[in-house]
Amino acid sequence: MRETLETQHEAELAEVERRRDGLKPLLNFLQRPWVRALAPLVLVLIIGVVFNAHRAFYAWGTHRDMLRQVSVYGILACGLTLVIITGGIDLSVGSLLGFTAVLFAQVSIHQAWPALPAVLVVLVAGSACGLVSGELISRFRMQPFIATLAMMVFARGLAKTISGGEKVSQAVLLPDGSPKYLDLPRVFSVIDSKVLGGHLAVVSIIFFACVAVCWVLLGKLRWGRYLYATGGNEDSARLSGIPIHRVKLLAYGLSGLMAAVAGICQAVQEQQGDPEAGNGYELTAIAIVVMGGTSLNGGRGGMLFTLLGAAIIGYLEKILSINAVPEAFRLMLTGGIVVAAVLFQKVRK
Amino acid sequence: MSALSTSEPAGEAAPLLSMAGISKAFSGVEVLRDVRFDLRPGEVHVLAGENGAGKSTLIKIAAGVHSEYEGSIHLHGQLTRFTSPHDAAVRGISVIHQEMSLIDAMSVVDNMFLGRELSRPGSGGQWLDRAAQLRRARQFCDQLGLGDIDLLRPVEDYSLSVKNRIEIAKALAWSARIFVMDEPTSALSEPEVVRLFEIIGQLKAQGCGIIYISHRMEEIYRLATRITVLRDGRYIGTEEAARLPAPELIRWMIGRELKTHFPPRRAKLGAERLRVEGLSLLAPGSTSTGSRRWLVRDVSLSVRAGEIVGLAGLQGSGNSDLFRGIFGALGPPAQGRVLVDGQPFRVRSPRHSVRQGLAYLTSDRKGTGLVLSMDLARNVTLASVPAISPGGWVQESRERRIAAEHTQALSIRATGPTQEVSTLSGGNQQKVALAKWIETRPRVLLLDEPTRGVDVGAKHEIYELMNQWTEQGHAIVLITSEMPELLGLSDRIVAMHRGRVTAEFTRAEATQEKVLEAAMADSAP
Amino acid sequence: MKKLLVMLVALGLAATARAADKKYVIGMSQCNLGEPWRVQMNADVKRAAEKHPNIEVIYKDAQNDTLKQVSQIREFIASKVDLLIVSPKEAVPLTPPVSEAYKAGIPVIVLDRKVTGSDFTEFIGADNKKIGRHLGQWVVKTLGGKGNVVELKGLMTSTPGQDRDSGFREGIKGSDIKIVFEADMKWLEPNARKEMESALATNPHIDLVYGHNDPGAHGAYLAAKAAGREGEMKFVGIDGLPQEGQAYVRQGILSASFEYPTGGDVAIEKALEVLSGKQIPKEIVLDSRVFTKDNVDSGGEWLK
Repeated sequence: MRETLETQHEAELAEVERRRDGLKPLLNFLQRPWVRALAPLVLVLIIGVVFNAHRAFYAWGTHRDMLRQVSVYGILACGLTLVIITGGIDLSVGSLLGFTAVLFAQVSIHQAWPALPAVLVVLVAGSACGLVSGELISRFRMQPFIATLAMMVFARGLAKTISGGEKVSQAVLLPDGSPKYLDLPRVFSVIDSKVLGGHLAVVSIIFFACVAVCWVLLGKLRWGRYLYATGGNEDSARLSGIPIHRVKLLAYGLSGLMAAVAGICQAVQEQQGDPEAGNGYELTAIAIVVMGGTSLNGGRGGMLFTLLGAAIIGYLEKILSINAVPEAFRLMLTGGIVVAAVLFQKVRK
Repeated sequence: MSALSTSEPAGEAAPLLSMAGISKAFSGVEVLRDVRFDLRPGEVHVLAGENGAGKSTLIKIAAGVHSEYEGSIHLHGQLTRFTSPHDAAVRGISVIHQEMSLIDAMSVVDNMFLGRELSRPGSGGQWLDRAAQLRRARQFCDQLGLGDIDLLRPVEDYSLSVKNRIEIAKALAWSARIFVMDEPTSALSEPEVVRLFEIIGQLKAQGCGIIYISHRMEEIYRLATRITVLRDGRYIGTEEAARLPAPELIRWMIGRELKTHFPPRRAKLGAERLRVEGLSLLAPGSTSTGSRRWLVRDVSLSVRAGEIVGLAGLQGSGNSDLFRGIFGALGPPAQGRVLVDGQPFRVRSPRHSVRQGLAYLTSDRKGTGLVLSMDLARNVTLASVPAISPGGWVQESRERRIAAEHTQALSIRATGPTQEVSTLSGGNQQKVALAKWIETRPRVLLLDEPTRGVDVGAKHEIYELMNQWTEQGHAIVLITSEMPELLGLSDRIVAMHRGRVTAEFTRAEATQEKVLEAAMADSAP
Repeated sequence: MKKLLVMLVALGLAATARAADKKYVIGMSQCNLGEPWRVQMNADVKRAAEKHPNIEVIYKDAQNDTLKQVSQIREFIASKVDLLIVSPKEAVPLTPPVSEAYKAGIPVIVLDRKVTGSDFTEFIGADNKKIGRHLGQWVVKTLGGKGNVVELKGLMTSTPGQDRDSGFREGIKGSDIKIVFEADMKWLEPNARKEMESALATNPHIDLVYGHNDPGAHGAYLAAKAAGREGEMKFVGIDGLPQEGQAYVRQGILSASFEYPTGGDVAIEKALEVLSGKQIPKEIVLDSRVFTKDNVDSGGEWLK
C-alpha cells in the first residue's frame, strides 16, 4: 500500500516535471527576440479585434488604408533608421517632407514638368539637404541634434519661400484676382492609386520598396556594415580604416532622399504642396524606429524592426480612428503603447 | 587536486568580510560554485585566476553589483546582503575600478562626494556644504600625495594615475574599510605603481583590508599577504603568499605548468619593412604657433621583416602617440616621413594607412579596438570589409569562414561567429582584435599592450602568435608596460622619453635596469 | 535686411506724413502667417489699401508667438503709427498692449479674435456659430430633412471648432439628420483623409460630409474617391477662400463652401472712417456668403 502511494507520488512528480519540460519550449519561444518584438503588435491587433466597430477590422480595406496612412511616416522612418544606426538623429525629415512636397507640386503642377524630371529634381533636392546636414555633422563636428534642428527650421522656411506661404495646388489666382485651374498631372493619380485589384495602395508599395532598399543596404552591402560599425564605436571604426566622413554623408543623404520620397507621396495624396506638411512627423518617425527596437545609442537595430514599428503605430491609429475615440484619449493611449512597446524591447536584453 | 590551507593562526583578528558557499549563475550558466573568501584587517588578499575564472563575478557580489546569489556574506561578523553598489559603498566597501568610475566632466571634489554629499546642518540634507566638502577632500588628497591638486577642476584634466588616486581618496572620504582593486596598475607607469603601492601600505597600516586582482606575478608577490585562487568558477585554495611559490601558483591557476615563459624567437630577419625618418607630431588642436605642444620629436625608427622592435617608455613618453602618428590617426605629421617596404607613403588617415599594409592594435580594446555591439565575425572582418565584399555585397559565408579560421588559429573561446563580442572574456576580445588586424595581412603590426587584461594562458598564446607572424614575414613594433614581456619578446628595444628616442638596445644588451634608466633619463637637448 | 529697409522707409514716411498731411501709416499685426486664411486676410487688407494712395500699411507677422505679437504691437506704438489693426493670437495676453495703444491715442481695430475689456476702437469678426447654424440649415434643406452625416471637426479644444460644431447641431435640430461619425482632424487635410477612411470603413451609407474647414472636406473627398464612393455623398466645408473652398466648389468637389470672411477689406474701410473723424460702432459682425456651383462665379450668395 505504502509502496503504491510512493510510486503514485513519484508518478505525480514525474508528471509535474514532464509538464514543466513541456512548458520549456514555450518559455524559450517567448524569450526569442522576434517573439518579443512581435508581442506589442499582437497586443495591438488583439485590441483591434476586441474593439471592432462595425466589424471593420475584418475588412481588408481597413488594413489597406492603415498601410497607406502609415506609409509616409514609414518612409521617413526608413531613412531615420539608417541615421539612428550610425548613432545620430535627423530632426529635419518632417520639414524636408514639407519642402519637397511643395517643390514637387511647384514643378509638376505649376511648371507642368513631365513626371520623370520632376521626381528626379525633388529627390536630388531632398538628398542635397540631407548631405548638407551630414557635412555639418561630419566635417564641422556639429552635434546631429543641433545640425538637423537647424536644417529642420531652414527647410520649413524654404518651403514657405518657394510656395509664397500658400498651398501649391491646381487653383492659382491670376494677378487680376480671377482664379484659374491647372491640370493635375497624371503622376499624381498614378502614385495615389491602388493596385492588385484595389487591394494595395501604390504609396504602400513605395514604402515597402524603401524598406527593401534599406534592408539590403544594412544587411547585405559593405556600406551597411560601415553604418553599424560607425554607430557601434566610431573610434574603433575610424581606426579600422572605415571612411566615417562618407558613412555619415551617406546616412544623412539617404535620410534626405527618403524624406523627398515621402514628400512626393504626401503631395500626391493631398493633390497639393502644403508648406506646413510634415509638421511633427519626425517625432512619429522616431517613435516608429524606437518601437521597432533600434537603439538611439546607435550600432544596433534593423529595417525589419522598423517595419514592425510602423505596423504597430499604423494599427494603433487605425483602431483608435475606427472606434472614433476622442482625441484626448488617443493621445494618452498612444503614449501608453509607445512605452509598452519599448519596455518589451528592453526585456529582450 | 585540492591544496586547501586550513591553517588559521590563533589570535588572528576577526575577518572584515567573509563569504561562504557563494554560487552564481547567469541565465542558466554557472559562473561560481561554492566559493569562499575572507578578508582580514591589514592584509592584501590577492584573488588570482585566469580570465573567466569568476574573479570579477565574486567581487561584484562583494560590491553589491549582483544582489542575487546563493551563499552567505558576513560583514564585520554580521550576516548581510548588499542591495546595490551604493549600499555596499555606504557600508565601507570601495571598488577601485579597472575602468574608472569617476565622471570626467565633474570636479574632483564633486566626484569624491557624489552620492554621499555633505550637507549643511538643518537643511534636511538638501543644501550642499561645499566648504566642508572641500576641507575633507583636501585632507584626504594630502594624505595620498595629491597636495597640489586643484579640487575644483574637472577630473578629465588629470592623468590616469592621478585619477586612480582620486578614486582612493574618494573611498577614504566614504570611510571605506575594504578596498577592491581590479588591475589598478594596468595603465600606470612604474613610478606611479610605486606610489600606489605606498598608498596600499598606508591603507594596510590603518587596518583596512584590500582585495587585489592582478595578472602580474611580480605585483602579486610584492603585495600579497594571502592568495586565493579560483579556476573555472571553483574555489581552488587559499594560502599565505610566502608559502605559495610562483610555479605552484601558476599550477593552481591553470592546472598545468607553463614550460617556458617566453617562447624562443625563431624568425629570420628580412628586408626593412618600416622606416620612420625624423618624425615629429603635434598634439591635436595645437597647430597654431603660439601653443605648439609636441607629442613626438624627431623620431627615427627602422623595423625589418620578421623582427619585433620593442618601444620602451613610461606614461607620457610618446610611444603610443608615435603609433597613432605613424598610423595617421593624428592626421598628416608636422615633420618627417614614413616608408613602408622602402616606398615613402603620405600619412593621411587610418584608412589610408590600412591600405598601405599597416595595422594598429590600440591599448584600449573596448574604446578604440572593437565594436562591442557587433558579433565576432563582423569584428574580425571590420578592417577588411572591402576584401569580403566584391562589388559592394558582403559575402557572409566567406566572412563566417574567415571568422572560423581565426577562431581556431587563435583559439578564441566563443559559441560561434555570431556571438556578440561584448559577451566574450577580456582575453578572447583581445584575440578578436588581433584577428581583425591579421586578417588585413599587414606588412607592419603596431601592437600597443597586446596582453593587457589577458590571463596567463592567453598571454602565452599571444606570444606564440607574435612569433608565428614574424616567421611569416610581418614586422612588429611592440609597446608593453610589462618589462619582462618587453625584454622577452623584443629583438631590439628602443627607449623613448618625452617624445624623443633616448637609447637603443639589442636583445643581448638589454636589461631591465638599462632600459628603465633610458626610459627615465632626460635626453640632452 | 529688406524688411528693415521697408521699415526705415515707412518710419521716414510716418515722419513726413504729418507735414504733407492726409498720409496715414497703419500698423497691421498679424498673429500667424502660417495659415492660408490669415495670408488671405493680409491680402485682403493689402488689396483694399492699394485703392487709397494716402495710406501706407506696415505688416508684422508674430509667427504664432503670443509674446512676439505683444512686442510687435509695442513697436508700432513706439513708432507712433496713426492706426493699428490687430488680429490677436490670444485674448488675455494681448489685452494690455492693445489697451496701451488705445490709451496712447492710437485707434485700434481688432480683427477676428477678441481681446478682453473695452480699450479698443472697434472689433470686426465673423460668427462661427452663426455660420455653423446656416450650414446646418443648408444641410437639412439639401438632404431633405434626413440622412447620415460625417462631421470632421477642427480642434475641439479651440473656440472656432467648438462654435462650428455647436452651431451646426443647432442648425440640424429637429430634423432626422444623424451624425454617424465624428472625429478631430486638427484642421489638417491628411488627418481628415485618415479619419474619413475610418468613417467609410464603419459606415456603409453616408449622405454628406461636413468638414470644419475646406481642406478637411477636401481630404474627406479624396478618401471617398479612393474608395470609389465619392458619388454617394456630398461634401461641405467652411472658409471659402478663393484658392481653396471656392476652387473646390468650382471643380465640383465640394457642394458648398461657407465663407468665413477675413474682414481685411472691411478693416481698411473702417480705418479710413476713423481717421477722417467719423464715429464707428464698437463691434461689427461680418456677413458671410455661401458658395455653390451655381453662384460661385457670380460672387456667392449672402447669408441672412
